[in-house]
Parts: sequence; structure tokens; C-alpha cells
Amino acid sequence: MSEQLQEVLKKQKEQLNSSLLDKDKKEEEIVQLVGFMVGREEYAVPILSIQEIIKPIDYTRVPQTPPYVLGVFNLRGNVLPLVDLRIKFNAPNTEQSEDVRYIVIKDKENVAGFVIDQITEAIRLNEKRIENPPETLKNSNSAISGIGKRENSIITILKVDELLKRDF
Amino acid sequence: MEDMQEIIEDFLVEAGELVEQMDQDLVELENNPEDLELLNSIFRVAHTVKGSSSFLNFDVLTELTHHMEDVLNKARRDELKITPEIMDVVLKSVDMMKELLEAIKNDGNDTDCGVDIEDICKKLQIAANGEELPSSNSIENEEPNQEIVDSGNETNEDEFDIDTSAVEDEDYSNLSDDEVEAEIQRLLQEKQKEKEQKKRTKKSPIKKEENKKETPAKKSPNKASTPEQTIRVEVKRLDHLMNLIGELVLGKNRLLKIYDDVEERYDGEKFLEELNNVVSSVSMVTTDLQIAVMKTRMLPVSKVFNKFPRLVRDLSRELNKDIDLIMSGEETELDKSIVEEIGDPIVHMIRNSCDHGIEDAKTRVENGKDQKGRVYLKAYNEGNQIVIEIKDDGAGMDPEFLKNKAIEKGVITPNEAQSMSDKEAYGIIFKPGFSTAAKVTGVSGRGVGMDVVKTNIENLNGVIDIDSKLGEGTTFKLRIPLTLAIMQALLVSAQEEYFAIPLSSVLETVRISKNEIYTIGGKNVLKLRDEVLSLVRLSDLFDVEKVFDSSDHIYVVIIGLAENKLGLVVDGLVGQEEIVIKSMGEYLKGIEGIAGATIRGDGRVTLITDVAAMMKLASQVDAVISEEEQTKEVVKNSPSDYHILIVDDSRTDRAIMKRALKPLGITISEATNGVEALNIIKSGDTDFDAILVDIEMPRMDGYTLASEIRKYSKYKYLPLLAITSRTSKSDRLRGIEVGMTEYITKPYSEDYLMDIVSKNIKLPQGALS
Repeated sequence: MSEQLQEVLKKQKEQLNSSLLDKDKKEEEIVQLVGFMVGREEYAVPILSIQEIIKPIDYTRVPQTPPYVLGVFNLRGNVLPLVDLRIKFNAPNTEQSEDVRYIVIKDKENVAGFVIDQITEAIRLNEKRIENPPETLKNSNSAISGIGKRENSIITILKVDELLKRDF
Repeated sequence: MEDMQEIIEDFLVEAGELVEQMDQDLVELENNPEDLELLNSIFRVAHTVKGSSSFLNFDVLTELTHHMEDVLNKARRDELKITPEIMDVVLKSVDMMKELLEAIKNDGNDTDCGVDIEDICKKLQIAANGEELPSSNSIENEEPNQEIVDSGNETNEDEFDIDTSAVEDEDYSNLSDDEVEAEIQRLLQEKQKEKEQKKRTKKSPIKKEENKKETPAKKSPNKASTPEQTIRVEVKRLDHLMNLIGELVLGKNRLLKIYDDVEERYDGEKFLEELNNVVSSVSMVTTDLQIAVMKTRMLPVSKVFNKFPRLVRDLSRELNKDIDLIMSGEETELDKSIVEEIGDPIVHMIRNSCDHGIEDAKTRVENGKDQKGRVYLKAYNEGNQIVIEIKDDGAGMDPEFLKNKAIEKGVITPNEAQSMSDKEAYGIIFKPGFSTAAKVTGVSGRGVGMDVVKTNIENLNGVIDIDSKLGEGTTFKLRIPLTLAIMQALLVSAQEEYFAIPLSSVLETVRISKNEIYTIGGKNVLKLRDEVLSLVRLSDLFDVEKVFDSSDHIYVVIIGLAENKLGLVVDGLVGQEEIVIKSMGEYLKGIEGIAGATIRGDGRVTLITDVAAMMKLASQVDAVISEEEQTKEVVKNSPSDYHILIVDDSRTDRAIMKRALKPLGITISEATNGVEALNIIKSGDTDFDAILVDIEMPRMDGYTLASEIRKYSKYKYLPLLAITSRTSKSDRLRGIEVGMTEYITKPYSEDYLMDIVSKNIKLPQGALS
């Protein structure tokens, strides 16, 4: 009995190991992203750059900032800036929606919250399916790091460090 | 190797303190050449440093201290009289000691830094032999660059020597192993002596006091040599502790706020008392803890003050004036970060007092003053602040002279000069590019300095107060908060937004009526007692959405920074609160007028104003308060100038109302729900005279809408007419509670509605068409 059991366990272990190895191999090419809607377009940022996603909470306006900087908000004792991507990307959505979320994005030094219309899904995308942004977009919007092609849609992948960089 | 490093670090700290002490003692010695006690203690310092440095193989330092020791020893045995010239040399060598110590700190040795001690050693030797010292300049000129190059080579060789034969270095310290042993022995004895010495000095101050009444009591020396009672802690750890306390203070504020809410809701319940006990004890402990941690970061200002006697001594020789520095309150404590910051400003101010304030001896005698000029440096606590006072008995400042000079230099315009008070005129000296010194000396007159003082003090949220009497002297008062991380703030509101103003910058708050505001040159001013203050609206500074207050009385917060004052018009005073400063991160750094943010008891973020930047902003704002009031009073000529808003989700109901009101000829806007209505009202595009509200609506009902509208001070008296089919008494009561003006039940007659509306918007009867 116990021998059998051990054999089974052994097999399972092997399977697990091999699948893990497989995964590792794949992961080199696969990029994990989180997709979200701003206006009618879908954008995405790398999943690891997201600290958390929260429901809208109160914020405090900060004077002398561009309109897309809504202000600052309190995230468990930390004061973070809040940027409305809908205004920043010229996709104002007047309709108040239940789906609006703050995505808290961080890089090595900075953290900030971004207002988006809706979270879509976590996306696994093969690196080969990501293209450089078209020439025409390169200058006008430097926050784009690439265009991801999916089955029946394309998705704009954003540069996290550009998003977090102060541009006013 | 590790051990060695530790010993060297200890040595550096100790030597640094000793040298500091020595500096002070030497200056005092010059005033009191007969004080043998003092001379002994100076000698001991030199001796100790020499001992330890030779033990640690810092040969250059050893050589230098050795020569100093010689001179001091002779003086101690009365074989040599300390003349100012000798003192110059000794002080110079103390400076070199400092340089060498710095070099050891940075490079780990004293040979690489290129400090040339040859010169000074020679001079010390001459002094020790009791020969006449050549005037200080000549030696430096006689020994040309050649010498420096030479010694540079020499010292480099030394380094190699150390590597090969570390102990037997013939040139500088002839120490054999035995001698090292002896050295250690001596050091131990030294410590013993120091301890005895301390006992003695405890008795001696009285004697000293008698000798020199003017000099404040000296702190007992060698404070650092009782390691049993102190621990050296990394500043980083204290900072971390301070941050944690900050969080705790926020938590405490929050708890207090929640307790208030709970108390309101469950008034009279038994558990409240218990809760109250817990809350108050937690808040008390938190406060105590905060004070305790703050205290660990406190340093006496003597850390900064110590170097000033030397500074004044050097200055008085350089300027050929006779100046005495009289210090008091050195034991007053301040946060470490602030102590580090205030040194430079005070140096500049003392220089200023010595150079510009104190007249030369001849003038002083002519004016019937003591030939000796006096500069007083005083520190003391006042409330939550520390005051540092720099006072001289010099010539004082002449406001007219300052104004003319400033006009000449283009710092101010003649117009500005005319409207300046004396105090404002004194403030001119802090303007960049202004200097009253007739000629540029090594000390001042280069047009930098005082404006740096101002910036530095402002960075610390400090205030500078100047008082001057022509012919009698000038007093500068620096008011500086005790700590930077946690502070007391005055919370004010501008319309619906709150801002925190550092309490240290708030001079007072006043309530004035609108007709006390005058307009001068397109700017609002307020005459408060004898002062004329410029006024600016907080809402204008920070572009707060305007919702005018119709009240005749306004609140003014008078803020002061450095020597400037400004009246800040706010819409409400919320209260005083302890706040913890939080940075807003890289992204929002350096927003003009905002110093940071804090989290309030209710969890919301409140911005902390940067008083210095606000003052700058204020000069750019020229919105005039009284004018704004005028534009507000639009004369309504025809009924169509009256504007009402109908809020109802039913199109039919809206149409019925419109039809009923048509005969009035007033302008009507519509909204389909509370949110939409609120947005229209908030946008401020139209000023409504009345709002008709349905109660049952999607998204935001009429009650909520009414209470939202009533939150705006501007709409406190705006007629809100509820139109509903709910007729129960409780519904009516609720309507009154949220601030409805009238409660109209459906169905209603058209005449009745018209009547009520025209009554509420105060439509003139004749205007009915």
C-alpha cells in the first residue's frame, strides 16, 4: 500500500516539476498584463507594476496642477497623488460608473493612483505579439511602450515610468 | 581591524569635542590671561589629543599638538606670557587640528590631505622659545610655495614609513614599545585626572562668576567622557522612531475623532465612560511618547554657540574693533536637524552686527559709549518655539538711509519706499543684492549673506523680528519651531476645502467687517492697530472654486514669516491640531504654496501651506475683495433676470411646473436628478434664485440634494422648494431638517405654486406680466 502510495506521490512530483519547468520556459516569452478601459480604448500595464486596485475614495484637490491631477488621497496612511487617465488621455467619461477604479501603480521610487473606467482582465501575452508603437505615435505620446495584438482586438501597453513621471 | 576602526571613531568624536572646548577656552583665556585653571584645562586637551593621536599613529597631528603643548606648557609654568600674537598662532593651530581631524574622518589618515603644518610648527616653536613673533603675514610670505611642495613629499614618504615601520617613526614621534606602554598609562591617568577635574569644576563656577560677571556660566567640560550614562545611537534609528510616532499621532487623532462621533450618538451610555478612559490615556501616553522621542533628538544650542566666541574674537581683530560677545541660554535645546540649520544664519547675523552694528572705538567714545562694543547672543524658549536673540549696542539702523540706499540699488522703487513702515524698511537688509557696507570688507558687504539668512530661517518655518533704535543698537529675534516633523497647525477652510497653516507662522486671527478693508494701488489692505497689512484671499491663492460668502464679517489669519506679514482671508477657522507632515512624493513635489500633506482624524488628506511661498504668491494675486462683492450684486431689472432650477425625474412633472410658472416670465433650467442638479449648481455658471426639488429621484434624492446644497455657505439662504406627493408629517419634518424652505404637496394649483415661487425669489409685484 505504502509503496504504491509512494510511487503515486513520486509521479505527481515529477509531473509537477516538469510542468514547472515548462512554465519557466514559457514565461520567458510571456508577458503578464492587467487590462483596463479608459474611455473606449483598452490599455494595459505590466501586472507586477500594480500595487493594488481599489474602489474610488475621497481625494483632496491640490492647487496649481494640471486638470488631470485630481489631487492626493490617503492609502492606509500614505499620501499618494491621484491622476485621472481619462482626462490625461482626452477620453472624458461623463457617466459615473460603478466600475471606476483607482489603480495604484508603483516603480522603484514612485507610487501614484490612476483613475480608470473599468478593469478588464489579467492578460497573458506572448512577447512576439507585442509590437513597437507606430512611428506616428512615438512623439505625441511617449507613454506607450508597445501595441499588443490579441485575437480580435489590440491593446495599448503603457510605460510605467512615463506614467509616474511628473510632466508639468 | 574592526576594533581599530571603532577606536578611531571614538577618538574622532572625543577629539572633536575636546577641540571645540579648547577653542572656547582659548578665547576666554585671552580675556582672562591669569586664569591658571583654564590654561591647565587647555593644556590637558592638547596633551590628550597628542597622546591618543600618537597612539593611533596620526603623526602629523601628533607633531602639531606636540608643539602646541610646548607653548601651553611654558605659559602654564608662567615662563611665557600669552600675547594676542601668540594666541593667533595657537588658534591657527587649533584650526589645523580641526582640518586634520576632518581628514582622518574622511580618509582614515592625516597625511594625505596636504595640510601643511611646518609653518605653524615653526611659529609655535618660536613662541615657545619666548622669541618675538614676526608679524603673521611675513612668515607666510617668506616661506614660498617651494616649502609646501617639499612638505607634501615628506608627508607622502611618511605614509610609506608607517606601512613599513609603523611604530618607529623617527621624524615625528619617537615612540618605542615601552613608550607606547607609557603613553597608555598616561592616558589612563589622564582620565582619572579628568574625573577629578570635573569634581573640581563643579565647585569652581562660583569663583568664575565672581571674576567675570558678564560671562554666562560655563558648562562643565568633558561632558562626553562619562560613557556609562549615554549611548550613541544612529540618527537614522531615531528618525525611524520619529516616523513611527508620527503614525501613532495620526492614529490618536483619528481615535479622538471617532470617540467624538460615538459620544454624540450614544450619549449617556455606560460604556462611554470606559471608552473615554481608554481614549484619553492612549492619547496622553502618545503625547508623552512623542515628547520623549523628540527629546532624544534634542541638542543644546551650545553646539552651535560654541564657535561664536572664536568668531567674534577673530572678527574684532580683523575689523580693529573691540567687541565682546555675551552669550546666555546655551543649554536651550532644539531638534538636531534644526540645530544643524541655524548655525549659518547666526554666523551671518553676528558678522552683520559686528561689521555694521558696532561702531569703531573712536566713534563710540565720541557718542559717549563704552569703547568696548557688545554683542549679546541669547536663546530661550517661548511656547512651542525657541527664540534666538542677537542684539548689539551699536549704531542702530536708519530707516531713511536704508530706503535711499535700496532705491539707489534698484532693490525697491521710490513708491514702495514711501509706503514702507520703519519695520519694513529694516527688512530691506534681507533683500538679495542689498548691502549697506560702504566698502567691501572680508567680512561683509558683498551683498550675499543676509538674504541667505532669510531663506534659511524661512525653510525652518521661522520668523525674524527686527527692532532698532538709531544710536542705541539693533535686536534681531529669530523664532524657530522646536521640531520639523510634527507640528501644531491652524486648520482653516476656504470654501469647502481645508488647509493647514503652521501655527508657528500664525501671529493672530481676527474677525473684521468688510468696510475695514481698504484698497491701495489695486491691492486690499487692512489696518490693524498701527500696522497696514496686505490682504489676500486664501481661495484666490489656491484657485479654490468660488462660492461667495455673503456674510459681512470675514476671518483674517495674520501670518508672519521672517520679517514679513500678510493677512490671509479665510472662510472659516476650524481649529488647532497636531499634524504630521507627509511628503506627497516626487510627482507632486515643489507645488508652489504647498509644503506637504497630512492625514486628519477623519482619514482625509489636508494640505499644509508653505507660508514663505504663499507670501510670494500673494504679491501676484490682485483680485480685489471688495470689487468681487460689487460684481456679485447684479441688478435684476426684468423677470427674466430671475433664474430657477427645476429638479425632477419625470418629464411630465417638469412640464407641469414650467407651465404653471410661465406667467411669471422667469428663466427656468431643468435637471433630471440630484447629481445632475448638484453639478449644475456647483459649476456656478448661473446663480439661481430658487430651486424646485422633487423628493423621489434616482441616484440622489431630494433630501440628499438639499443637504448637499446647504453645505455651501453661498447657498445657505437659497430657497429650496420641495415638491412631492409625500404628505406624512415625518416626511415634512425630514424636509425641514435638511433645509427645505417650503414643502409643497402634490397636487397643487398653478396659482399656489406661482405665488410661493414669486414670494421666495422676491419677485417685485409690479413685474408680473
